[in-house]
Amino acid sequence: MTDSHLTRRTLLRYGAYGAGAAALAGTAASWDRLTGADIPGRDDGSLVVATLGPAYGPEAIRTLTEGFKKVHPDIKLRINAVQATDWSDFFAKILTQIAAGTAPDLVYVATEGVQLFAQRLGVALDAWVKRDAAELREYFADVHPSLVESMMYEGSLYQLPVEFNAADMYLNSQVLKRAGAGFPAADWTRDDFTELLRDMKKSSGSQFTPYFWTNRLWGGVVPWLFANGTNLLTESKAPGGAWLWDGFYPSAARQGRGGGFRWTTPQATDARVEESYDYLASLIQEGLCTRPEGGNGQNLIGVFSTGRVGVTPAGGFWAGGLHLAGMEPGSFDVQYFPRWRTQRMQYGAAGYSLLRTSKKQDEAWEFIKFAARRDTLMRLFETNQTTPARRSMLTADRYRESGPRHWQVFYDTLDKFPDTGPIPAPPQVAEVEQVLLKHTGTALSSRRSVGPALRRMQSDLEKAMERDV
Amino acid sequence: MSRVSPLSQATLKTSPAPLSVSRARHSLAPWARIAGLAACALLTLGPVIWTVSTSLRTPAESFDLPPKIIPTHPTVDSYRGVFDQIDVWLLALNSTLVTALIAVGQMITAGLAGYAFARLDFRFKKSLFALVLATMMVPLQVTIVPVFLVLKSMSLTDTLLGLIIPAFPTAFGTFLMRQYFLGMPKDLGEAAMLDGAGPWRTFRSVYAPLATPGLAIVGVLAFNYHWNEFFRPLILETSGQNYTLPLGLVSLQGNLGTGSISVVLAGVVLSMIPAVAVFLVGQRPLREGITSAGVNR
Amino acid sequence: MTNTQMPAVRPSRPATTPATGAAQPSARDRGTRLLATLFLAPTIVGIVVFTVVPIVGSVVLSLFHWNVIDSPRWAGAANYREVFTDSTVLVSFRNTLVFMVLAVALQLLIALVLALAVNGRMPMWLRSVFRSAFFFPLVLSAASISVVMKYLFNQDFGVVNWVLGQVGIAPVPWLTSEHSAMAAVILVYVWQQFGFSFLLFVGGLNNIPKEIHEAASLDGATGLRKHLHVTLPLLSPTLLVATVVGVINALQVFEQPYVLTDGGPGDSTRTVVMVIYESAFEQLRFGEASAVGVLLFVLIMAVTALQFRLSRRFVHYQ
Repeated sequence: MTDSHLTRRTLLRYGAYGAGAAALAGTAASWDRLTGADIPGRDDGSLVVATLGPAYGPEAIRTLTEGFKKVHPDIKLRINAVQATDWSDFFAKILTQIAAGTAPDLVYVATEGVQLFAQRLGVALDAWVKRDAAELREYFADVHPSLVESMMYEGSLYQLPVEFNAADMYLNSQVLKRAGAGFPAADWTRDDFTELLRDMKKSSGSQFTPYFWTNRLWGGVVPWLFANGTNLLTESKAPGGAWLWDGFYPSAARQGRGGGFRWTTPQATDARVEESYDYLASLIQEGLCTRPEGGNGQNLIGVFSTGRVGVTPAGGFWAGGLHLAGMEPGSFDVQYFPRWRTQRMQYGAAGYSLLRTSKKQDEAWEFIKFAARRDTLMRLFETNQTTPARRSMLTADRYRESGPRHWQVFYDTLDKFPDTGPIPAPPQVAEVEQVLLKHTGTALSSRRSVGPALRRMQSDLEKAMERDV
Repeated sequence: MSRVSPLSQATLKTSPAPLSVSRARHSLAPWARIAGLAACALLTLGPVIWTVSTSLRTPAESFDLPPKIIPTHPTVDSYRGVFDQIDVWLLALNSTLVTALIAVGQMITAGLAGYAFARLDFRFKKSLFALVLATMMVPLQVTIVPVFLVLKSMSLTDTLLGLIIPAFPTAFGTFLMRQYFLGMPKDLGEAAMLDGAGPWRTFRSVYAPLATPGLAIVGVLAFNYHWNEFFRPLILETSGQNYTLPLGLVSLQGNLGTGSISVVLAGVVLSMIPAVAVFLVGQRPLREGITSAGVNR
Repeated sequence: MTNTQMPAVRPSRPATTPATGAAQPSARDRGTRLLATLFLAPTIVGIVVFTVVPIVGSVVLSLFHWNVIDSPRWAGAANYREVFTDSTVLVSFRNTLVFMVLAVALQLLIALVLALAVNGRMPMWLRSVFRSAFFFPLVLSAASISVVMKYLFNQDFGVVNWVLGQVGIAPVPWLTSEHSAMAAVILVYVWQQFGFSFLLFVGGLNNIPKEIHEAASLDGATGLRKHLHVTLPLLSPTLLVATVVGVINALQVFEQPYVLTDGGPGDSTRTVVMVIYESAFEQLRFGEASAVGVLLFVLIMAVTALQFRLSRRFVHYQ
């Protein structure tokens, strides 16, 4: 016994030596991988663009890199897809790079961050826009002025929007049919909406809730505030911007445009805000609506596509998402958000922000223009994972395979309702959002808690808005 | 301090263990105990089973209630989707390199330092140990910016080495190994010393072989932790070629969370395979370490 | 130990004595010190460079206002004052302590009971299966599994409420009520983490010589009594590791509440590390985030020191 034992131990020992040697050899062989020496063209003075990873897969990166190379063979381009799960992850990455002095030249920024970047980090594009006006005329003619205005801050333009998503209402056709309800009219009211939810509830089993929504800035409670003719913060327009409107838009489209939005005084205790919360609380109480969950709505597509939910707010990005989730084109459709006092709707948009620290600002501008070109966006947005900012790209052909039937709703949300606006996103947006989500969660736990929660929200918002970013 | 001679061990060892006594050892009937364990195991694995089975279903079936554990139309499309959408092999290579090197490195540093803290006498022992422990108490989110700056000064940002080297010292591993060495009978080392062995030989031939189970735990846990690590790679790695698997998997979630849940879960399942394998391999030393080391031989 | 005893037995193995004349106690001590230095060097150097320096950096940062973009401005104690008056920060400390106590207690209890049960008599393969099962959740990434759990715990469509419904329990608003959200976060956390303590206990039980158990059985100790009086004291070093590490980890909980509830509803599941993350990377207040970090560090240190102090009474080394 002792003998076999010893042999086994000896074997084990030699095995361990062998493994150790193999590990050493392996490490040596992969030295270039460990040090990144095998990555071609690193730190070679390329123009660096940071994008959001989940939106820009390897395919999209190839499309952008190769496409740009054809147009500008002299400019070396490097796209870093930051694999962030959400905006704060993305921000953590960019901020660390800024702190270390290794910031990218361009950063993909959504409405949430437009004013923060404009105020602290970005360069206004005005001079370049004016210089290349002739070249850009076609772009602006194709993009709704509201989207452009949402990228302005204090009279200057900071980004060219390439995509947007408005909060429209998605309806599950199967659930509609079960409830014996028709597709709602474009001018349906809040009461029509409530009735529809009741019909859906009556005709469905217990594993069903008619209206599902996520507690977030985009598509949460804010669209209801918009529909009720109010907002979380008072909204006004900065002066200026005429240089852009006069240069690129016909007089009808110029109407009421300014130098970008200003969101200033909190008004959470405003009667209409309270009314909106009361309405949602009553829906929850009646069992017509889920309690709002925090987070980014990752399960939303799942519960909607499987008919566990009848109605939910989402944007053009859901056309691709529902298709991917296996929904047939006819099994869902989209309509405007219902009318209350107004039918103003809410959206978020995104584009590239040019950082002040960039030493290649002219090259960066070339990329901004390239990224907003129609052919670039056509290749980039093949699967309807978002709504293109260019009106001409929304065609029956684009939505043939995925649906929905009323795909025109996506862009008409802007065209038919020109006052449709961006989510309120002042430079202090992060705190504003946190305060909103926090108190929305408690406000809707019962109808009685609406008032007190909104009062707390108001005082927290006031504190947040006072703070220097 | 107790001075149990090797002889007392021998007395224990020689005590007979008649069958009848062994059988009476547990007041709980063995079958009830095993049934209880089985129920707990099922509860523990439930969410994992749901994850695996959902990754094998079409997205449309994903959220059925009652949950369909056995998919009616099993499909591996989701797995194909993972391979189509991301470069699994490169990501897995990076993850393997990073994780394996960290695990080996931690076993070495923790084994050595743990032994020093447990069995060697030197100045400032207590304060140094407190220092090591203290490093466990600082959340990564607080120090990540300074860490990034330190790595930048060493030109290690955006390299895999930049992920590996800072992870070599392990407070937890050191702590664990210290406890392990402390838990070993002291008289073994004393006997060796009496036999004339120096400090190195005492470590090398008496204690080190006994440390296998502890080292296995350190290695397995290091592998697990760093295999799933997200925040550090997110901040440190910029080039797509340096991404690790958890970073790559984020792509599957799609723009604004529109990715297919089945594909996302297929990615999760794929990524857990190596960690499971490491655990299964590591179980052997965990179990056998003590017997082969010869404490109760 | 006293060195004077050694020479008495030494002659039995003269050959193994190092040539340096280690018969001198001082030489042996020198050897020990040299060995200690060599053994500690990798750990200590690494810790100083990659942890101590950054920590000092954070402490310094906590005395400044810094938004990363502009250069830091001196703040003195302003960040700390701010922290102590900010209700969100204070609530997050309370939440974290509540979470720590409940999660660690639950985690240790489950792990201990299961480790003892697994250690009982059963076929080898079965033991192996159980061990792997209990360890399994640890293999998953906390963030991905939290996404799955978020679905399972959904009030209206989740599997958890469906199962409860089968036995007649009304749907629980797990993630959307201030009363149950913390419970859900604790359950998900413990589900994933207990395997860690379990593994430690299994290893610790392995380290207890079988003979001691058998001797105890001979003395007539059975079942619970044997575990209380024989197993637990022998397991106490491992228990200390599991508790200390469990507490340190629990005080830094982040992923589960971040994904499951985003700290809500209200602030009911907002933890200290969430506050740090939010104020640093969402609100660009790195000075304040560092101040909260320093306070958390002090809290963890205090709790850990307390445990070691208490452990002197309860932990027995062989």
